[in-house]
Amino acid sequence: MRSLTDAQTDVRIGLEIHFQLKGEKLFCRCPTEGKGNKLGSFWRKLRAVSGEVSSVDKAAVMEMEKEREFHYEITDNSCLVEFDEEPPHTPNGENIDAAIKASLLLNCKIVDALNFMRKIVIDGSNTSGFQRTAIVGINGYFEHGNKKIGISTVCLEEEASRKIDEKDNKIYYSLERLGIPLIEVSTSPDISSPKEAREVAKNLGMLIRRIGKIQRDVDSIRQDLNISINGGNRVEIKGVQSLSAIETVLENEIKRQKSLIDISQILKQRGLNQDDIRIEFIDIAHEAIKWNSNIIRKGIEQGNKIFIFKLPKLKGLLKNGNYRLGKELADRLRVIGIGGMIHSDELPAYGINESMISWIRQILNLEENDAFGIIAIPESKSALVKNILEERVAQSLDGVPAETRAAIGDETRFMRPLPGSSRMYPETDIPLIIITKEMLEKNIKDLPKGVDERIKMLESLGIPKQEAMVSLDLGLDEIIEEIVKKYGNPTVASSFINRVRPKEKDKEKLNIIFNLLNQGKIPKEALDTLYQYPEKLEELITSSKQTPQLENRIREIVQARRELILERGENAFKPIMGEVMKEMRGKLEGQIISKIVRDEIDKIIHEK
Amino acid sequence: MSETIKFMSKVTLKWKGITVSGRYINEIGDFIIIKLDNGYNMSFKKDGIEIIEALEPDAQFENNNHKKVNGNKVGGVVIIGTGGTIASYVDYKTGAVKPLKNFQEALFNSEELETLGNIEDEILFNIFSEDMEPDHWIEMARKAYERMKEGKALVFAHGTDTMSFSASALSFMIENNHYPIIFTGSQRSSDRPSSDAYFNLKGAIKLAATSDLGDVSVVMHSDMSDDFLSIHKGVRVRKMHTSRRDAFKSINDIELGRIDSMLNIKLNDNYRKIKRENDMILYDKFEKMVSLIYYYPGMDKEIFYKQIDKSKGSIIAGTGLGHIKNEFVHYLSQYRDEKIIGVTSQCLYGSVNLNVYSTGRNMLSAGLIPLKDMLPETAYVKLGFLLGNFEFQRAKELLNTDMRGEISDRRTN
Repeated sequence: MRSLTDAQTDVRIGLEIHFQLKGEKLFCRCPTEGKGNKLGSFWRKLRAVSGEVSSVDKAAVMEMEKEREFHYEITDNSCLVEFDEEPPHTPNGENIDAAIKASLLLNCKIVDALNFMRKIVIDGSNTSGFQRTAIVGINGYFEHGNKKIGISTVCLEEEASRKIDEKDNKIYYSLERLGIPLIEVSTSPDISSPKEAREVAKNLGMLIRRIGKIQRDVDSIRQDLNISINGGNRVEIKGVQSLSAIETVLENEIKRQKSLIDISQILKQRGLNQDDIRIEFIDIAHEAIKWNSNIIRKGIEQGNKIFIFKLPKLKGLLKNGNYRLGKELADRLRVIGIGGMIHSDELPAYGINESMISWIRQILNLEENDAFGIIAIPESKSALVKNILEERVAQSLDGVPAETRAAIGDETRFMRPLPGSSRMYPETDIPLIIITKEMLEKNIKDLPKGVDERIKMLESLGIPKQEAMVSLDLGLDEIIEEIVKKYGNPTVASSFINRVRPKEKDKEKLNIIFNLLNQGKIPKEALDTLYQYPEKLEELITSSKQTPQLENRIREIVQARRELILERGENAFKPIMGEVMKEMRGKLEGQIISKIVRDEIDKIIHEK
Repeated sequence: MSETIKFMSKVTLKWKGITVSGRYINEIGDFIIIKLDNGYNMSFKKDGIEIIEALEPDAQFENNNHKKVNGNKVGGVVIIGTGGTIASYVDYKTGAVKPLKNFQEALFNSEELETLGNIEDEILFNIFSEDMEPDHWIEMARKAYERMKEGKALVFAHGTDTMSFSASALSFMIENNHYPIIFTGSQRSSDRPSSDAYFNLKGAIKLAATSDLGDVSVVMHSDMSDDFLSIHKGVRVRKMHTSRRDAFKSINDIELGRIDSMLNIKLNDNYRKIKRENDMILYDKFEKMVSLIYYYPGMDKEIFYKQIDKSKGSIIAGTGLGHIKNEFVHYLSQYRDEKIIGVTSQCLYGSVNLNVYSTGRNMLSAGLIPLKDMLPETAYVKLGFLLGNFEFQRAKELLNTDMRGEISDRRTN
């Protein structure tokens, strides 16, 4: 039989890109950027609740099993709304405008009214236990080269808290980020390769940044991906932090999904049926205590049982080349806080030798293709662990389970089953927000130009095309435009700003130094130093006032070497210029210095 | 439109040239609300759409998450639902928060309840606390009395806005209760994962089931965290914040105790222990023609006098130590032998004292009764209770006499 790995793989990828907005938070009047002060803390528990259609969401229940405590650090840009101690305020109009503009740029139909929904998320990242989100636009498209990528929705939603730490059953969050407005753009699964996914994300990002108000920090744009291949289910990947990671994460994920489909074929060939999948535990602590295995001894010391169990027909599929079903099982257990499952594909190891292995195989009455696992857990957890293992082994017959995974480096790790739509219900504290004709018209009028037009505009200011493109990608085009319009020097300004990537607070500094450059008071070589050490600015401005004195000082230095000039003529320029530069570097532009030196030398030669 | 389409029917409509399908939720004003398959609700202006198809709703959307929890064994706790946020749910048709018909199941699964003891629930009313009336207090007092006769402790799940009024009312209306009577509520509705309802209700049930607390009490969060619940004496507690979990504070008294997150109860020594040697007494009458008047500078005398004239008794929340302007005092003196007029302070913290300034002394000569450190709302409930159940002179004497720990001459903070 032909392995599926060799078959043409049909990949369907969709992107969910989040853009943080600057200014005010979405549901309160706190600034999006704080001063970094911590003002105390509080902690809560969260509880799964019934959804709108009366089914407690699977994903939510899963988190519930963890019995976690969530600790929140209060920041100077958070208030009772973020503490979930006050109802949300009416959303800020500027944020709604930004989301409308994003929808318009992506050719979406704009909704008649915003319905804010509560999306249940009980990992603690939202103090309320839900994320507020509303659709602003649907059914759009994005032109990527000659290809149209569908835009299924553009949403306006609130950012979650930032996780700081995790210890035992406690998770620590900072409230700084909670409530920052996000524009979420979701594409249809029209993307067919990891490379294309990265390019679409990049170009889409450039377009949306045209709105302005978008945070530029690395942390401020995160991508979620969803991917399915032929024969598998849709998998959601959360929190891909950079553009370059999109490609590698997707490549690895495709490999993983292909191997899972291969595994399902092999299991069917081996004749595994759903009915055969029953995990039974046998406690072997009394025997295993004699073994020289640290991992097992530690387990027993902690009061755990040492359970062995049959993994039917899974031999060679748990850890063998691309086949990594063992990791899939372990990841599921990790979610409920259980680690350290050992399986037969990784043995002998951990102090478990061949004779112990055959003893286990005998006890479990294993056949050739059967694998086994060993796990140290308390009796109280055994039913839950059995259920989880059975469920995942059963899913391996179907290939790729539908699930939400987290991007960890270049790989992905299981987080929870794919959440259903039942985890959404209306945010009753916020009434319908009607999008009036006036609002629409205003935003259409203020709509920024597309990327191509923008690049042409920047070129017309004298900015090189390459720099214009980079600036758009970095979201620096506006500041470059401002500086160039005020102070000229398009080539120097664009390459300098693209290189140093200024933040909002650096704007004033840029204005000062490019103003000085424009007036010829500083040489362009001084830009870097001044930008990095603004305290030298004062010194420089003072010295620039002293230009005539400096010029006189240069003449003095040259005059002092009169003899050398008389001796060597014009050849004296080089050594004298060296002397002068020792004193004058950074104070005057090199060209000016050299002209004065030359003039002065000429004068002496001709006096002769 | 709504007459022909049922809740959760699958509908397909044309809007702005595209086809959208989802489930019909409801209509608000000019808008029809559809739930899309991804869970989002979307609103469409009615005059901008054309409905292509509307099917019958599937059976799976029938509400099926409520099942009845255990029975009528002797002993244990009865949770009495009266409405409010703690017993509310989101009505997906209107999008508003509405009282539950059977609130218990929405809060706990049965295993969680069983660990707390033998629990029963009963829905007495389905009203928001701002709609509570003295008649409801009477009904609650009768219900409590009746269930205590059966050997049950009580937990009232109540809206927070007027919970302290109800707790005060039951404090007065039942003398020598044989079992704990605990009020609790929530500031965040129970449809939210972050709701304070679970911890508050569990703490209240545990306290009712296991303690000898005789004071009718209120149990709510102590602070923003889920670490402690505070136990407040019903006649001493007041809602001091519109939205925080820890809105309830004991005023002019220390809390009766605390309950930690593991539901361990620690009572201070300022509570009244239950004694079953004496009979319980139910006072189930209330004089409604009693007023609570908040004095302010510039208060029009017509407005003030009218309230006084109409009332059989009044509680005045005066400024500072308990003052009202001298002009009013003279008018009140005519009612010396006809009406009971008590004086409390808008400051809430501290005691009324009418001996310090001449205005105060004039008020005393006019026959006004200084009510020391009693809260204005407690004093209002107490006056209605006294005029309903006692003859005039006795009521007047009792008003500034301590009956349930509502008044004291000694404050330590």
